[in-house]
Order: sequence, then structure tokens, then C-alpha cells
Amino acid sequence: MLKPRTLAAVGFLTPGVGLLSVFIIFPIILTAWVSLNHWSMMTPISEMNFVGFENYTKIFDQDTFKKALANTFVYSIANLAMMLPLSLLLGLLLYQAALKGKTIVRTLLFLPYIIPSVAVAIVWGYLYSPMYGPFNEILAFFHLPTQEWLGSFDQAMMSLVILNVWQTLGYYVVIVLAGLTEISQDYYEAAAIDGANSLQRLFYITLPLLKRSLSFIVVIMTINTLQVFDPIYVLTQGGPANSTTVVSYHMYDTAFNFGNAGQASAMAFILYLVVLFFTILQLRLFKTDY
Amino acid sequence: MFKKGSLILLAILLVLSIVACDSKSSTDGGSSTGEKKVKISYLTHWAAPQVEQLKSAIKEYNKIEPNVEIEVRAVPFGNLLTTLTTQSTGSGAPTITSIYELWLPQLVNDKIAAPIPAELESEVQSNYPEGIINAITINGKVYGFPNEVNLYALNYNERLFKEAGIAAPPKTWDELVDAAKKLTKKDASGKITQQGFGIITSWNSGVVHPWLSLLYSNGGELLGSDHMPVLDSKEVKETTELYQKLIFDEKTTDPSMSIANASTTGPYLDNFANGKTAMIIMANWWQSALEDSMGDKFADIKTAPIPVGPSGSGSHSVSYSWLTSVNAKADQSQQEAAWKFLKWLNSGESGENGSSAMGDMLMGMGIMPSRNSDIEAHNTDLNSPFLKPYVDELKNAKSFPIVLGGNELTTTLQQQLEQMEFGQTSQNDTLENAQKSLKDLMSQFYK
Repeated sequence: MLKPRTLAAVGFLTPGVGLLSVFIIFPIILTAWVSLNHWSMMTPISEMNFVGFENYTKIFDQDTFKKALANTFVYSIANLAMMLPLSLLLGLLLYQAALKGKTIVRTLLFLPYIIPSVAVAIVWGYLYSPMYGPFNEILAFFHLPTQEWLGSFDQAMMSLVILNVWQTLGYYVVIVLAGLTEISQDYYEAAAIDGANSLQRLFYITLPLLKRSLSFIVVIMTINTLQVFDPIYVLTQGGPANSTTVVSYHMYDTAFNFGNAGQASAMAFILYLVVLFFTILQLRLFKTDY
Repeated sequence: MFKKGSLILLAILLVLSIVACDSKSSTDGGSSTGEKKVKISYLTHWAAPQVEQLKSAIKEYNKIEPNVEIEVRAVPFGNLLTTLTTQSTGSGAPTITSIYELWLPQLVNDKIAAPIPAELESEVQSNYPEGIINAITINGKVYGFPNEVNLYALNYNERLFKEAGIAAPPKTWDELVDAAKKLTKKDASGKITQQGFGIITSWNSGVVHPWLSLLYSNGGELLGSDHMPVLDSKEVKETTELYQKLIFDEKTTDPSMSIANASTTGPYLDNFANGKTAMIIMANWWQSALEDSMGDKFADIKTAPIPVGPSGSGSHSVSYSWLTSVNAKADQSQQEAAWKFLKWLNSGESGENGSSAMGDMLMGMGIMPSRNSDIEAHNTDLNSPFLKPYVDELKNAKSFPIVLGGNELTTTLQQQLEQMEFGQTSQNDTLENAQKSLKDLMSQFYK
């Protein structure tokens, strides 16, 4: 006979744990299982053939998957390298009490984040157009060499990174601002009495106390960028010459266009493990004691 | 927060879950018992005007067959196979689907496509060209009604030809290179502002079909009779050398002007429509896209056969067709209703002036119908300066290989060719890599 307290706990936990199991845990287990089978998604799941780790060995034999994995890391690192300092700088700037019009700037910065990614990608496709795009028109106006943007093997990936920075920077700036508001002014007053200058206040008070916000930004940005899909699907289809193929896009192609759910699930599981690994690593690296 | 790629992950995971839960349920709930209406659905990739035409045709059909309710579902071309993949075994699976012939072997293998009933087979056999029927016949069974047929040809801008002093379109590869040189314009920095010959990238068929049309016109083949690639031939090497010459040696082609987007439009189309590309190899179906983009200037666009290579004996472009198939997982009453509707839709009773309604819809998009009586009924339109050379070349065209894994084969070859076009691999490496990749792929399906 269960105690009332235990029964209550079971009752309260069941809906949450049940939903979590159905929508998170079960699909993860199913994906792992499908990745060990050969299966076309157009046949019943009961017709799967068990092939062990063959799908994993096959995808690592593919140049396209290895290229997609490398491109995914490049995209993620490039976003981190650009967005982290930018969001910090803009956050610090917009936190200044004396700055006029900062509310408008904050709104404008956050606005692109609420626009659907597909709509953003379509608009940026026109902006990047090599022949008639506004970016090249501006460059030409200033007598600067026009660029090939998405049509270039070397520039396509960076063009996608710039698009993502434009769209998501505002969100990360808001997180920095939230972190800054949590820092007590007492620290700054004490530092001022001790004669600390603004750079010393930044490095010895602001940055250490922003560590939790910055670590959150790094983790979320890593998770999001490792899973990039929309702009690649809409704008480049992984091209030119696989220069923008990423794991999510290759996974989509393999599952839905090639009908190979086993290999696609193996890719999904690899990506899941990669994201999990980096998330745990970053959480440990940025662990704070306060 | 967890968006973008996670949506794909989630989509795959949910599809797996749904299919797992739903593997026993393969038909929708329609029933034809008694006076009850049979409900069927028609999945197509057509644009809005043709979807409206299809709906009008269904209305007409309902006057003679009121006990059938046909729901039309339209998705963009790029999402058609995806939709079919995710919905084909579910309870809401489409009963009738427009499919690209290249997908047919897999759909037959997965028991999704139903063979045409015996009583309708003679209807198909006696009304469509043999080559078209062969492309949709697997193990002696015909898997639907053929509808559109497409093939590739050289499209060129006559105004630019006149400006460059070129009287006629090129007939050989030497003439092609020569014309491309005369038609190319560069700015002071050497950047191409008007390319003589345009290619297409970032879209598998757009990359592979024009290349294969040139290969066929040079006497080469993509696959041998054992379904294995034959990319180590002299003819293939000459075809990649032609690309090398156009892109890197003579600099008449700029790959950065070649990009296609998810809707198979984009810069490659814009550049041709705006007179920045003088020649390009494309299929007849893009007539309506060109007309929309160019307006009156479309009159400048002319069509010519694929130029013949040094080892070729004649012009042979790639052709491919589409068919309308019926879902083998639908229940018997739905399948019967679907075949009956398709028979009517493809017959002379449904259209105007002896054409079928299907023929009228296809011609509305500038696409060639394959039914003999439709071609006759639309003879005037098919004799337009843009379409006539396509119609004339149909007899010389060769079908794209219809094999298991055909879509993956096209994408794999696309990736290898693009590496060469963007200068990432040499010709020899491209062909070696392509031969190996395609052999690995085909070995999975054919021993």
C-alpha cells in the first residue's frame, strides 16, 4: 500500500514525466534503434532490417557527411567568434544610463529575432544577389569590388554566418543586459572608492559577474548553430559544391529525398551526441561558484 | 529557443513515432458502401492556376460521377517527395500522386505505387509513345498514366546573338565555345558581366541533366547495362573538358551566376531572363517562368538542339517524364475510384478540342503532354518558336536512367560535378571520385 505522500508525488509527476517520455525520451530511443536498422520511411517500421552499426560506418565513409560535420563546426565557431564579443559590446553600450534612444535601439536589435527564419532567408537571398542585390549596389556606389556572396565557394558560408548574426544578435544582447542588471551597484561604488578605473571595473567586476550570462549565451548559441537548417535549405541547398552542407541539411536529404531513414537517424544521433558533448563541456568550463 | 535544426530532428523523430504507431493503418476512412461517397485525394506539385484547372475538372467529373469526393493537395516541387515519404503509409496518405519517373522504382519496391488495372493497360499502351511507357514499366507492369514529358535543349538569346554578329546557334562543341567567347563581356577588372554560356548549380537535376545531355550528344553513357557507372570513358572525359574550357580556359562561364534556390529558380534564371547569360541548357518546362520574368522580351529566346561533341553522332538530350500513380495502400474502393477518375482525366472526353483535361493543364504551364491525341490537339501551341525544337528533338532524346536510388545518384553526381565547376577538384579527380561514389551507391541496389 502506497503512502498518500508517495501517491501525491506520483500523481503530480506523471503528467510531466509522461509527456517527457512520449515526446523526448521515446523518440530519442527510437532514433537510436532506427539508426541500427536499414529502413525506407515509405514502408512500415515493422519491415526494418537490423544492420548493427553499418549505418554509422557508412556515413563516416561518406565525404559529404564528413564535409557537413566540418561545415557545421565552422558555422558554429564563426557565429560564436562574431556574436559573443558583439553582444557583449552592444550590451555594455546599451546599459549606459546616459545613452539616449537606447530603448529604440534595443527594440530594433531584437526585431529580426521575431521574424521567421524562412522569411529572413528569402529577403537576404535578394540582398545577396550578385547582379542586382543592394549589397553589391552599395559596394559599387563606393567603387569597391562587388562580391559573389552565396554564389562563391569561399564566401557562401560566411554570408550565412552574417545573416544569422543579424537575425539573432538582439536576443543575445538582451541576455547580456539582463546579466548586467543583476550586478549590484555596490561593487562599482566600492571600486570607485578604491580608485579603480573603468577598465579595471570592467575586467574585475563586470566580466566575472557576467560569467553565468555569457556561459548561457555560449551554450545556447552552440546548440542553435550546430542545428542550423533553414537558411541552407532556402538559399543554398548545401552548395556551391557542398561548401554550405551541414549535418541537419544532409540528414534531411538522406531521410526524405533518398528514403534512407537508417542513415539519417545515425546522423541525427551523432549530431545529438555532439550537441550533448559540447553542452556538458561548456557547462563544466563555465561553472561558477556563486 | 531550440529551433532551426531541432525542427528537422523533431520532424524525423515525430515521423518515426507516428509511423511506428501507425504502421497498421494505411488507408483513409472513405468507403463506397451503399450511397456513401468515396473520398480520395490528389497530391500534386502544380502551381495555383493549374490546381484551379484541376479543381474545375473535378467539378465536371462530379457531374457524371457524384459519388466520389476528390480533395486536391498542392505542395511545391521541392516538397513533393518529402510529402510522399512522410505521408505515403499514414491514414491520410494521398490516393493519387503526381510522381517523377525517377522515384518510381523505389515506390514500387516499397509497395506504394499500384500497377494499373489490366482493363486500363491497353488504354495506356495504345495512346502513349512506347519510350514513355517503357520508362514507367517495371517487371512488365505499367504503374500509372504518363502525363508530362520534358527534355533539354539549348536556349539562347537571339538579341545577344545578333549583337555579337552570330547568325545561327552552335551545332557542335567547337561552335559552342566559339559563340560563348563572342558572347562574353567583362568589365575592366576582368569580371564577367555577361556570360556566353550559363550552367546551373545547387539543384541536382539542374546540374546533372544539362551535363548528361552534352554527354549523350558526345556518344557517352552514365550507367552501363549492369547499372554500374561508366564515367571512365573517353566521351565522359571530353564532356568535363568542355566544362573546363568554358569555365577556366576561355572564362565564358561564371559559376557564381549559376545558383538555384529551393524553388528551382534564383540567380541562374534571373541572369538568363535579364540578358546576362546568352546560352543555357534547360528543359521546356521553364517556358512559363521565363515568360513571367521576361514579358515581351521572351520573344528573344530561341531553342536549338544540344550541340554535338567530337565523339558524338547526333544531338541526344536527356528526357524524363512524370506520371500519375495510385497509392497501393489505399483501400480497394479508393483505388477503383482513383483509376476511374484518371482514365477520364486523361481521355479526350475531359478536355477541349480533342485534348484531355490533363493535356490542357500541362499546356497551361508550357509543358509538353505525352498522350498522342493531346500532342495533336495542341499542335499549334507546340509549334511555337520556343517549343517546336523540343518537340522535334523528342525522337532523339534518351531517358535518364530509371534505377533504384536514382535521386541519390543524381545528387551524388551533382556534388562531384560542382566540385569541378568551382575549381575544387581536377577533372581527373572529379571523374574518379564520381565513378567510385556512384559505384558504391549502385552496388547497394544491384549486385
